[in-house]
Amino acid sequence: MNWRRAKNKEELPYKRWYQHHLIPVGVFLLTLGWSMVDLKMSPQLFWEGIPHFFDLVGEMFPPNWQVFSRGKTLWSILETVSMAFVGTFLGAIGAFFLAPFAAANLVPSRVIREITKRMLAAERSVPPLIYILLLVVVIGLGPFAGMIVISLGTIGMLGKLFAEAIETIDPKPLESLESTGATKIQMFRYAILPQVIPSLIANTLYRFDINLRVALFLGVVGGGGIGVDLQMAMSLFQYADALAITAVTLVIIWIAERISDSFRKRIIGQENLQ
Amino acid sequence: MGIRSIGELICVQEIVAVNAMMRYWKYLFPTGLFALLLWGGAAVCRVDPVALIAGVPQGIQLLGHMLPPAWKTFPELIGPALQTAQIAFVGTVLGAFLSFLIGLIAARNVHSMKVLRNMVRAILSAERALPDLIVILFFVAIVGLGPFPGVMALAASSIGMLGKLFADAIEEVDPKPLESMVALGATKAQVIRYAVLPQIIPSLIANTLYRFEVNIRMCILLGVVGAGGIGFNLVTSLRLLKYQEAMAVIITILILVTLCEKSSEILRRIVVGQELLR
Amino acid sequence: MLSVKNIAKKLPDGRLLLRDISFDAEKGEFIGILGESGVGKTVLLRCINGLTTPDQGEVIINGDGNPKKISGKKGGELRRIRRKIGMVFQGSILVKRLSVLENVLTGRLGRISTARSLFYGFTDGEVGSALEALDKVGIRSLAYRRAETLSGGEMQRVAIARAIFQEPYLLLADEPVSNLDPKNTEAVLDYLKPLTQQMAIIGVFHAPRIVSQYCTRIIGIRDGAVVYDGSPTLSDATIDSIYGTGKWASDPSAN
Repeated sequence: MNWRRAKNKEELPYKRWYQHHLIPVGVFLLTLGWSMVDLKMSPQLFWEGIPHFFDLVGEMFPPNWQVFSRGKTLWSILETVSMAFVGTFLGAIGAFFLAPFAAANLVPSRVIREITKRMLAAERSVPPLIYILLLVVVIGLGPFAGMIVISLGTIGMLGKLFAEAIETIDPKPLESLESTGATKIQMFRYAILPQVIPSLIANTLYRFDINLRVALFLGVVGGGGIGVDLQMAMSLFQYADALAITAVTLVIIWIAERISDSFRKRIIGQENLQ
Repeated sequence: MGIRSIGELICVQEIVAVNAMMRYWKYLFPTGLFALLLWGGAAVCRVDPVALIAGVPQGIQLLGHMLPPAWKTFPELIGPALQTAQIAFVGTVLGAFLSFLIGLIAARNVHSMKVLRNMVRAILSAERALPDLIVILFFVAIVGLGPFPGVMALAASSIGMLGKLFADAIEEVDPKPLESMVALGATKAQVIRYAVLPQIIPSLIANTLYRFEVNIRMCILLGVVGAGGIGFNLVTSLRLLKYQEAMAVIITILILVTLCEKSSEILRRIVVGQELLR
Repeated sequence: MLSVKNIAKKLPDGRLLLRDISFDAEKGEFIGILGESGVGKTVLLRCINGLTTPDQGEVIINGDGNPKKISGKKGGELRRIRRKIGMVFQGSILVKRLSVLENVLTGRLGRISTARSLFYGFTDGEVGSALEALDKVGIRSLAYRRAETLSGGEMQRVAIARAIFQEPYLLLADEPVSNLDPKNTEAVLDYLKPLTQQMAIIGVFHAPRIVSQYCTRIIGIRDGAVVYDGSPTLSDATIDSIYGTGKWASDPSAN
């Protein structure tokens, strides 16, 4: 690349405007153009879609709140929230037990730490989509499968966050306990735990919010909960139903976020008091 | 407070015991409530540990069915995988471009139409609160299934996040070069092009790349719902009980996602290293 | 060339900052404006090119026989007038991630059509003039370096080169050397002074000693009004009347 070598030279011919970033921009535009052609994208489709769009919006309003008079839908909401709730809880427990093995200041053995970290990372990177599709085959459709997938996903993220929290504690209480001959478990319970609990709870609450959306997502693919109803309404073209379901789901998500926010503030507040 | 008789001793002990109970009562109540909710939630989810345990041998059996993966189907999977990447790519680019324009409108230091700015910011917040899934589902419902609607759905769902990030980046720009260019008579467009853009390009590109990674996963889901791409292959093969093909698809998906993440990381490092970009 | 007439400006809390400032400037002059911090020197400068609007008074520029009022103009008209007024600020106003040459080239954005400038379409002639401008301040060798790699003094010289490239009638300088060490201060002012052949220069400075060496005329401002307007050689008494202290001789900021 001649402009890199030329950084050391004093004179460089001035590059015309099209020579600036020619290669990267060119590659980018080529890829874009090729993709668009390949996908058969055309503005025509867009124009044709617009009247269709308005038709649909007309069909969507007013939202059909009657859909909630069927107990099934209300139950689905309960399923979704429960999936997220129980799933987050189980995931947090799992992460709680795994995380100490990934923390540098607890486990001197690098091997164990690396293995644990890899396990946690693996759980994070496999899209929950794949888990759920497979799990459904084994256990069947429904919120149970969804809950398991949520726990698995949660263990990965919370495990990493918990391990980091453990690693960043103040070492002095730990050392002073060690010098009095406490066992590893005692050290954990009395020196580490008190320092780490606020952040554990805060992170878990944060993950709960995320898991609500994941539960919604999983429902669409068979994991139970309101996602199922949403997907069905959409595929049956019952858009007014879909809008009602969406609206209520959003309200629930918003409420959950407010609650977990206020919990988090209380916990961080308590930490400051200590 | 001397204790003068057995009677008093018993009273004191009772008081101590009641005090102890009341101290723990503070913790007992919420914990009990929590346990109740947990149990209730588990019941709602039809948690069935028996089924789970019974499912384990079934799961192992399934894995047995799925291995070895159907290697010979790989060539025909490249097409859909590529399509998934393309949809995510075009969708992200479109979303980034629109977000840039929207970011300009929403930024405090670009123009003085406060009403417009606040409106746009409010819309962006609302869009960000919506789960991406819902935005995408609605878009697909409106425009139909197929790769093109998928692109538009991804673009629309990206605007919420990217619009805010871009607007914030534009607002955090060093204002002195801006003012000095205004002082020598440059038009707004020129000021944006020469003073704002060079300062925000690294963060623009980094954020867009991050969003690309998110969009790839969304795109797989889109495929599952029928919008084209490799997600569709996965669902089809599972429904047809062709487990080995499904395994091949899963492997392809994992490769695709990893490739995209790695290349996005590399690109990000290049941009932040500021070698090619000015 | 420049007529400043009865400029008055209020502070946000209602107090008068500038009271009734009037003066004229011609090509070939290097005017230094002195005064205490906060007296309004920068505000005055910004009133001249319209970055700030005075509450009263007007500013008229006449570089080519057509007098044009600046105060109160907006939009396209203001931009056209501003093409002919260059400004150098106190800190660095360069775009850090662009090269030195590109920073200089932005000097003529007022004259280049938006369409062409969007695509970086500077002509070879413009590039040549920009390099010449860099030559005039002695840093042509730094032309392709990224602006953020330069020292403070070098960055100010780039700002001057940009002003030279812009070819204005009038150059405003807002404390251009206040952040620089004595050697760089001299270097920058040495490059500024010859520019009076093409334009009028009005600079705000904080140290009288520098100003006396380079400027052709000094305007002192105190309490919002012009208290001195004349020759650059300043007696101690004059300096006291501008700054209002009796102890100027031991002022550490005057180097």
